[in-house]
Amino acid sequence: MSQAKKLMAEVGLEQERLEMFNLGASDAPLFAAACKEMTERARKLGPNPLKEEEASVK
Amino acid sequence: MIVAERKPFEEIKESIKDYRKVLVLGCGTCVSVCMAGGEKEVGLLATELRMNAGLEKRDIEIMEATIQRQCDKEYIEPILEQARGCEAILSLGCGAGVQLVAEMLETMPVLPGLNTRFIGITEAEGAWSERCRACGDCVLATFGGICPVARCSKGLINGPCGGNQGGKCEAGGDKDCAWELIYHRLKKQGRLANLRKTAQLRNYATNAHPARQVNEAYQTPEKAGVKS
Amino acid sequence: MTTDTYEPKLVAFCCHYCAYSAADLAGSMRLEYPANVRIVKLMCTGRVDTLHLLRAFEDGADAAFVAG
Repeated sequence: MSQAKKLMAEVGLEQERLEMFNLGASDAPLFAAACKEMTERARKLGPNPLKEEEASVK
Repeated sequence: MIVAERKPFEEIKESIKDYRKVLVLGCGTCVSVCMAGGEKEVGLLATELRMNAGLEKRDIEIMEATIQRQCDKEYIEPILEQARGCEAILSLGCGAGVQLVAEMLETMPVLPGLNTRFIGITEAEGAWSERCRACGDCVLATFGGICPVARCSKGLINGPCGGNQGGKCEAGGDKDCAWELIYHRLKKQGRLANLRKTAQLRNYATNAHPARQVNEAYQTPEKAGVKS
Repeated sequence: MTTDTYEPKLVAFCCHYCAYSAADLAGSMRLEYPANVRIVKLMCTGRVDTLHLLRAFEDGADAAFVAG
């Protein structure tokens, strides 16, 4: 996980796009919260620049 | 095993900036074990390079391949064709590997992706340390299997200097004093008398470079080009 | 691409035994969570490799997370 974050920084991608959550089988609310949290972050950061690149190629 | 570490990403990026099609070539032996240039590291570096190129809107094709050994022609031959289709090779082999790949491709730039560090052992998961300097005149028999040439910071072979500080070397870096290790090892083996002997003169001629060796059962001196 | 049509795509690497069950339960409980999460089920999150995470981003994921 920390290695992946380091590599993302090297490449020039925001590390906040990646996270790790610890939860158990009965933690449905936590799972929903994790999804919400990451979606919010992705919204704030804007689209992945790599995707735009690909979209413009196609 | 040869221990190497990956060069900084920026340096690698700079070295391949003039090429549009690059083959990242891994080596499945030593550098694979020390997590620097094996199949997995090839995948990671290639992905990083592709992502970075995408972010900077540069057009570059990064290919991946890993062979068993870059220091044997037989293993390089199968990828020669693929390699010739590229503009440059980024080798994640040790210095020897990079040189043989370059020798076989001749007209193509072969760039190193690693810094080759030393001949060493695995201390723990993800930690390696130097054990041998390939000096060509092994003294391990006398010193209880601990090499003062490689493990004493000063390379002393006639006993310790006065810089031992609580078992650590005064040169710093939290290095153990090789001579203290040697003393305790020989004590355990009941061979402390070894240290009382006058050290034999070392044959530094064995350390001449470039070194080369020939097994006469396979190579006649003429065939190997050695003057007898 | 205009920002107002931007809908982030997420990849979730989930352990079969914990997070995937949790996701399943979230469904059963009718909990609402963003629909733009794509789940990759693994037998164990120990299987997750740095390469998987980087590839997710290389292939255009806006965010990724590991849950387990």
